[in-house]
Amino acid sequence: MSNLLLPRSDVGEFRRRYKWMALGAFLAFVVIVGRLFQLQALDGAEYATIAHENIIRRVVLPTTRGVIRDAYGKVLASSRPSYDVEIVPGRVMPSARPVRYRNGLPVARDPDSWPKLAEVLRLNPEEKRTFEARVRAACVSDEDKSPCWHTPILVREDVSRDIVAELKQHHDELAGVDVVGVPVRFYPYKDLGAHMLGYVAEVDSETLLKYRPKGYEDLAREEQQRANPLGYEAGDTVGATGIERAWESYLRGQRGWEKRVVDARGRYRSGPETEQLVDAPPRMDPIPGRDLRLSIDVELEQAIERAMRPHAAGAAVVVDVRTGRLLALYSKPDFDPNDLSGGAGRARVREAYNRMYADPLRPMLDKTMSGAFQPGSTMKPFSALAGLEDHVIDPDHTEKCEGYVVFGRRVFRCSHVHGKVRLHDAIARSCNVYFFHLAETVGMDRIARVAQAFGLGDKTGLGINPEAPGRIPTRSWYALRYRGQFRVGFTLNMAIGEGDVTVTPLQLATAYAAIANGGTLYQPQVVRAVETSDGAVVQEFPPRIRRQVPIAPDNLRRVTDALYDVVNDPSGTAYPARDPTLDVAGKTGTAQTGYVVKKEDDAKMAWFLSQNHAWFSSFAPAHNPEIAVTVLVQHGGSGPEVAVPVAMQIVHEYERLQAVRAGRAPSAKSPPGRPGPRP
Amino acid sequence: MTLRLDDGGGLLGRAREHFDWLLFITVATLAVIGVINLYSATSVARGAHAEDYIQQIYWLVGGGILATVAAVIDYRHYERLGYAVYAVGVVLLLLVFILGREIRGSSRWIYIGSYSFQPSEFMKLFLVIALAKYLHDDPKSEGRTLKDLAVPAVIAAVPTALVMLQPDLGTGLILVLVFLSICALTRVQTRSLIWLGVVGLILAPVFWSYGLRGYQNERINAWLNPNVNVLGFNWDPHQARIAVGNGGWFGQGFMRGSQNQFMFLHEQHSDFPFPVFAEEWGFAGSLLLVGLYGLLVLWCLRVASMAKDRFGAVLAVGVGSIIFWHAVFNLGMATGLLPIVGVTLPLFSYGGSSVMTVLLGVGLVMNVSMRRFYASPSRTTQRLGL
Repeated sequence: MSNLLLPRSDVGEFRRRYKWMALGAFLAFVVIVGRLFQLQALDGAEYATIAHENIIRRVVLPTTRGVIRDAYGKVLASSRPSYDVEIVPGRVMPSARPVRYRNGLPVARDPDSWPKLAEVLRLNPEEKRTFEARVRAACVSDEDKSPCWHTPILVREDVSRDIVAELKQHHDELAGVDVVGVPVRFYPYKDLGAHMLGYVAEVDSETLLKYRPKGYEDLAREEQQRANPLGYEAGDTVGATGIERAWESYLRGQRGWEKRVVDARGRYRSGPETEQLVDAPPRMDPIPGRDLRLSIDVELEQAIERAMRPHAAGAAVVVDVRTGRLLALYSKPDFDPNDLSGGAGRARVREAYNRMYADPLRPMLDKTMSGAFQPGSTMKPFSALAGLEDHVIDPDHTEKCEGYVVFGRRVFRCSHVHGKVRLHDAIARSCNVYFFHLAETVGMDRIARVAQAFGLGDKTGLGINPEAPGRIPTRSWYALRYRGQFRVGFTLNMAIGEGDVTVTPLQLATAYAAIANGGTLYQPQVVRAVETSDGAVVQEFPPRIRRQVPIAPDNLRRVTDALYDVVNDPSGTAYPARDPTLDVAGKTGTAQTGYVVKKEDDAKMAWFLSQNHAWFSSFAPAHNPEIAVTVLVQHGGSGPEVAVPVAMQIVHEYERLQAVRAGRAPSAKSPPGRPGPRP
Repeated sequence: MTLRLDDGGGLLGRAREHFDWLLFITVATLAVIGVINLYSATSVARGAHAEDYIQQIYWLVGGGILATVAAVIDYRHYERLGYAVYAVGVVLLLLVFILGREIRGSSRWIYIGSYSFQPSEFMKLFLVIALAKYLHDDPKSEGRTLKDLAVPAVIAAVPTALVMLQPDLGTGLILVLVFLSICALTRVQTRSLIWLGVVGLILAPVFWSYGLRGYQNERINAWLNPNVNVLGFNWDPHQARIAVGNGGWFGQGFMRGSQNQFMFLHEQHSDFPFPVFAEEWGFAGSLLLVGLYGLLVLWCLRVASMAKDRFGAVLAVGVGSIIFWHAVFNLGMATGLLPIVGVTLPLFSYGGSSVMTVLLGVGLVMNVSMRRFYASPSRTTQRLGL
């Protein structure tokens, strides 16, 4: 008590300081106010924009890829949902997270839902361990805020509907587990027509780079649109081959977007208050992809698949001779586009690719148009037409076939000893010797001109897969190719479709269609119409004539008569394998492959690869042609024995389907009279 | 009670007539705005911090009672207890190392039952009291030399070192700045000042290399390059700056700041309550808030200048400097003027220790203010002598 009354200490020392301290404090606050003025008053609008961008996210509204249907409405390619299971590690495995404290006390953690999830997904112990290790390795961090704990990661792709149902049922026990539906391309007929349809794949980085060059993200939205009109983003699917690729721009559709309000953790917020935050326009609707209606008849494809079952490799083309529309395109061996389109998971895609590229029979190659082969004797009608057109040969002139003929120092062989043959017999019985003499008379360039007029050795322009042009050699081609003298042997080989002549089955089919319809070469087409998703036709593709082949009807009739006898005359090469109920005309072919056995070859494979290609190119019905059918059985051996039965089955199935669709019971037809093209 | 607290006339006597209304209203306004802001700031944090504003009201009430007690008892009693209070503070800081639990790499709290408190917060006040006591007892008529400042330096260095060891850079920094502020009050020889400056310049790079932890260097680097690494170390200052700017002239309105409502701000209840306020109330509101802090600090200096003895003067300056440095550092880091150091905004940030320290300090200033009209015996004598 007493000390309170003592003299107080002197404050004089401090007196002069207060003003300066006050000034310092004042200035410090002035600086802060100045900064606030800068941020809020001067740059306020700019920061308001940034804050707005913070909470508005453009959510992509996916579009659906168009459906591909066959001529009769059967779905060949569509999209189905694939259910992927994703988890948020921090919520599924809270026990793996660092302990959190609140007010210094550890916060109680939720129990792990991981064991339950593993049970529902039926993960085996090995998979379970692998995945746990992955999560822990990815999320190891003493920072509890490591984004990994909150970012969903994929556990399982394409789980079955049963599992999806089970996951929904146990939803309450499965915190942090999410089932995401992703559209996946689905091909109900699996590998049937796979080459023609193609498959879809994730857009590759090269394509992306083309559309999204460096600095793309910094461009204004309109400039991005200009640089990337198709709007491909990483992870998009894009047609990789076949119709899927060629008709990509129709099938794809256009994605839309919607502005959504998100918080800092990327969670969507909804409610009336948040709706006010969204600026106009709030949404752009997606445009679904266009559907395609093909001219293909999938049931015919199935018939071809059945007919080709005994054979390892080959191709078949069925074309409507009246329009050039393709009814079937078949290539063997094939692949299941479902595997490659990613629906069954990335591992499956990788495995399928590896398998296919290792296969010597090249399943990825579309043999109807991407592979060119020696046509063998199926070339003969064109050689004959060349001779007839220029009146170089007399159709009634006979040659004597002794089974071989010698030109220069080389022996050129025939399949049989045919004796005396006229042009008609030479085609029907496939006499090489006759055609050797014919070739010598007619010459290479005349034959080449006719063959080319029928579209051989030239891309057809179908454009769904890369086309091999094939080759119809000419003298000038040989002059460029060979230093040495031109040899007559080249011409002889060419006349019977050997040597340097190669064609694709598609070319041969369209050429035979032109023979059948009186000389009109159509542009082959596979897409008949583009439709909207509700079936309205947007665009139809009428038949397109490539050219009228300048051939006299008489000459054409001579050749078609001979082609009829190939099948229907007892001496014809295809006669033994014919179907007597069918009215077919055509030409067999057995082409040497010229395969040179290599040392490292597997003996069995080497034997197989040195077998001849079997051909049969035909049209039916012979007297009123509707379709042209070309069959190639690679390394199948003899054309008459191997390829003819396949073609017969195809024609048979075609007739049956026509009858069924017309409401008639399929019936055997009586063999008609002499066939001929309709004028 | 045998001790007479006053020179007659009830508990406070004439002091009651000199109640410092301006000080009271300023602090009360800040506290009320602070709670309202905390309500908005924690409204998004469902669960963990949702009830913080209620807890904050409890702290404010408790702190108010402490402040009343601190204001009622004549501060000259505290002067006698100055070193004892300081010693208790140091012992508590030592206890942190024994009893404290580590949270995010540092131990700062002491637990008593389900309550916890942060001795380092109270230490700021205890340091001020100890320095006031020392300067009170050590009058100098001429400029002080470095030797004269050695003892206060040691008094400040001991708790600073202990706090830095926790580690708590922010509080350590405040302790040093409070010490320097109080030194600035005294008259120091020019030569000594130059020496201090030179030593400081030499020690700064050493401190940068060895005194700071890795994340602290990162924060300073982040501050120097504000547009780099905005998803990492610069997230908080970046988003805080956006929130402040988003306020514009008049703000988005209460509970309507999108940066806060959509959780772009972190630590909005502790380190970053100001961006929440600035976004909701804009430049107008921010100006008012900064004005209130400015007024409070300047008022503390005014109280100090009118104090009748050295202890009271140093006490008022010390408390003023605590509030000043907290406000400047917190507002500075929220607006990107200063790097991130965990410094709370007085009466805005959630936290019992922090709130109580500030209120207790304000109580002491009130105490000094109320007793400014005491006639000092010497003055009385002088007046009588007129």
